[in-house]
Amino acid sequence: MLDAPTPDDLTWSTAGDLAAEVTAGRLKALEIVEVTLARIRARDLLLNSFTAVTEQRARERALALDESRASGKLLGPLAGVPFAVKNLFDIAGLPTIAGSKINREKEPARRDASLIERLEHAGAVLVGALNMGEYAYDFTGENIHDGPSRNPHDFKRMTGGSSGGSGGAVAGGLVPLALGSDTNGSIRVPSSCCGIFGLKPTYGRLSRARTFPLVASLDHVGPMARSVEDLALTYDALQGFDPDDPACVNRTAQPVTPLLRRGATGLRIAVAGGYFKPRGAEALQAIDRVAVALGVDRDIDIPQAERARSAAFLITASEGASLHLDRLRGRARDYDPAVRDRLIAGAMVPASLVVKAHKFRRWYRQEMLKLFADVDAILAPATPCAAPLIGQQTFIFGDQELPVRANLGIYTQPISFVGLPVVAAPIPLSPLPIAVQIIAAPWREDIALRVAHTLEAGGIAAAARPTT
Amino acid sequence: MQRKPLGKSKRRRAKATRKLRSRPLRRISSRHLHSIDRLVEASAQALGIPLEHGWTEGVAFNLQLILRHAKLVDEFQLADDIEPAPVFYA
Repeated sequence: MLDAPTPDDLTWSTAGDLAAEVTAGRLKALEIVEVTLARIRARDLLLNSFTAVTEQRARERALALDESRASGKLLGPLAGVPFAVKNLFDIAGLPTIAGSKINREKEPARRDASLIERLEHAGAVLVGALNMGEYAYDFTGENIHDGPSRNPHDFKRMTGGSSGGSGGAVAGGLVPLALGSDTNGSIRVPSSCCGIFGLKPTYGRLSRARTFPLVASLDHVGPMARSVEDLALTYDALQGFDPDDPACVNRTAQPVTPLLRRGATGLRIAVAGGYFKPRGAEALQAIDRVAVALGVDRDIDIPQAERARSAAFLITASEGASLHLDRLRGRARDYDPAVRDRLIAGAMVPASLVVKAHKFRRWYRQEMLKLFADVDAILAPATPCAAPLIGQQTFIFGDQELPVRANLGIYTQPISFVGLPVVAAPIPLSPLPIAVQIIAAPWREDIALRVAHTLEAGGIAAAARPTT
Repeated sequence: MQRKPLGKSKRRRAKATRKLRSRPLRRISSRHLHSIDRLVEASAQALGIPLEHGWTEGVAFNLQLILRHAKLVDEFQLADDIEPAPVFYA
């Protein structure tokens, strides 16, 4: 229970606590929304997380919730909890800009994305749309049209991308929850750079209906939050089949929140070796700290991980280019040059190679499934380094100097390539956080979340409050 | 001598020619271009993507990067009967 909460308490409360207060009638949803809107006005000039704030809608929604409670109706598990979404999710009445200049000319969306509808059904309150890398083809969180999202731990640093605004808004205390999308790492990379928890569920688990795509065969959507319990609560509210997304699999929802307290005891956990062996001090320290805390002394080799990353890179380039081909013909000047050049190049890749990458995916998936006969969860770094500086072009990776834009997702790509569920768990190193991926077998989000919850309970993983 | 006014179709052609000349397209001189640049120029033409002056270098850099990744995939021997997994069930 929050004891006479101050605005600061509300800002840094968990979604679960806020919902409990609203449900118990100790706090009004409208009070939370007003504190949130004031916080966004005060802090987002620095963070640049939001591209639209839906003030009127949020107030109306909060008032309706407060009236529902006053009339004795049951409220959902996220009653009164503010949230925001990456601006590739449709929000009724707004054009879905997907970080681009071109999409600003689109008609306003007529209906919310499925996942917004589900969160609102659970009582959450949408407060706006969040900055992102152009068309989600990005790992930096920089955006030439809207300006870069800024890292709450150090405003000179990247949030990571492409769900950069989602990372910044949650880590910076603007909202307790956000939705992001992850094609090759775009939930996990900003979770790592901003030091928050992120869940990329199994491919096909959550509906992408009415979101702007990048790569149909790799696109995932998922929640980002400052605690594992909030991640689980949100994920449970989001689950369920949706015929509006052709890739959404018709499976019964499997609530994970009640399972968190089972902990990690008895789970077989290994650290990914070989390709995933950290070459940077921060990633190494984070993995070591997690492995020691969980008592893990076993390494496992993920076969052909480097090739898997290459295949994901290739498929992304080709499918992304195909999606944008008409716009590249007529509006190429209106893209961020860095995105435009990648997309045009992707259009030129021979189809025979792309089909080979899809065939390789079949082989690699089978190999990954074999690994999960022996382990329940695999640990790997989320990013090769902590958040780079905004505008930084390269970083040192072992004895190599690699471009930031293409390589911040070097550890995330081989995992999402076959749609495995992953929780990014932030390790609060000083001065900057960095996350570890907890990878589970398909449809076993519960296992990844249980491991993350154990780490959080033990003080190893935490979304540290920024000092800036 | 006073010029005879152009007909509608000639006016349209003249306008198109002026537009084409003023467009900042990079002139292709195949003798001097690196093979990857030639590939970029030819592919862009085939795909109908206009490449403005100065774009070729960035596109060529990215295409080389993608092809390096493609090579790694291509080298891996796969059985003929392995099905592609374009949209898959994990």
